[in-house]
Amino acid sequence: MAQIEYQRLTRPRARTRFAAVRTSNGSLWLGTDHLLSVDSNGYTESYKRFYFHDIQAITIQKTGNWQIWNFIWGMAVFIALALAVATKPPGWPSSWDSNDEAGLFFFTGLIALLVMFLLTNFFLGATCKCYLRTAVQIEELPSLRRLRKTRKIMAKIRPLIAAAQGGELSPQTIAELMRQPEAEPAVSEAVPGADESGITPTLQ
Amino acid sequence: MNLLVQCPKCRAWLVEGIFNQPELQPCPACAVPLQVEIFPALFRKISRGQSGETILIEGESSCFYHPQKKAVRPCDGCGRFLCALCDCELNNQHFCPACLEAGKTKGKIKSLENQRTLYDNIALSLAVAPLIIFYFTLITAPMALFIAIRHWKSPSSIVRRTKVRFVIAIFLALLQITGWGILFVVLATRAHH
Repeated sequence: MAQIEYQRLTRPRARTRFAAVRTSNGSLWLGTDHLLSVDSNGYTESYKRFYFHDIQAITIQKTGNWQIWNFIWGMAVFIALALAVATKPPGWPSSWDSNDEAGLFFFTGLIALLVMFLLTNFFLGATCKCYLRTAVQIEELPSLRRLRKTRKIMAKIRPLIAAAQGGELSPQTIAELMRQPEAEPAVSEAVPGADESGITPTLQ
Repeated sequence: MNLLVQCPKCRAWLVEGIFNQPELQPCPACAVPLQVEIFPALFRKISRGQSGETILIEGESSCFYHPQKKAVRPCDGCGRFLCALCDCELNNQHFCPACLEAGKTKGKIKSLENQRTLYDNIALSLAVAPLIIFYFTLITAPMALFIAIRHWKSPSSIVRRTKVRFVIAIFLALLQITGWGILFVVLATRAHH
């Protein structure tokens, strides 16, 4: 069988971590008739294929991690600046050039690094989680973490999925299908992390 | 009203007006912003499978695995006749359960392959990681070289991947082996003198 050519959709992103160490990565690839989710621990790769004709729904959930990391990096920059000012030698800044070059380099480097992290996080934009649902599973796609990127990928794969399933559904069509008494959910829901009690949640 | 999709955060069932909207919509229960794309497959009924028809007329083709059942198609892997029960469809191909199992375990059906070992990364790790404690390279360098040569043609990742890791591993391993060789020669020469 010929090798399937895959097009990279996302770069590897941490799927699982142990403390701060990444233990496995997840990335997403586009095949001819399916999406390929690749999980790698560095020495083995495991693959999950989501065929376009099997994808039932894709849910994007906006998360607050973007604001949290902006705050963390902002605070770190502020603290580094405060330390730099607190430890400045007398006559600063003119005296730093001659008397405290090590301190100057250290704080300049530290602040530049922290500002770089802050700006990177800021410009990457809002964070999200993305779930892909088929008839048998709901899979989180860990490499889709930024809303902008996720939407870009959605714009790319939506027509492919729709073409494989005979067209897109408009909100009006969905509303009509939801009102039809004979239409039932294809399978019971199984949200990741949910309990196995089997109790059907009600709309609050 | 039919309930289709749950909010991934609060697990409340989502109502119409949220699905297939161009912008994020708040979950009616927890107000978390969501964008839910629904496709026709959600409304497709799952076929329950068939048990296979019993042969009523003498001379009809029968299933290889169930001789009393009528054959509906041949297996695309082995060509054996299959009844509706034994017919497993995969990407518009039809296989018998045995071919499906063999295809997965032996890697004959690429779309069933769900794991691969990255020998290039193993070789590279063996060549690089022990450099921290150099003495280990006496054992790990030949191991890295062996793995790189032994698995040069083994299937690597299913997605695009070059052999650059193998090349680096071989280069580093050869460098380490050469270093050890020189060291032993020097020590032997000194001991001789």
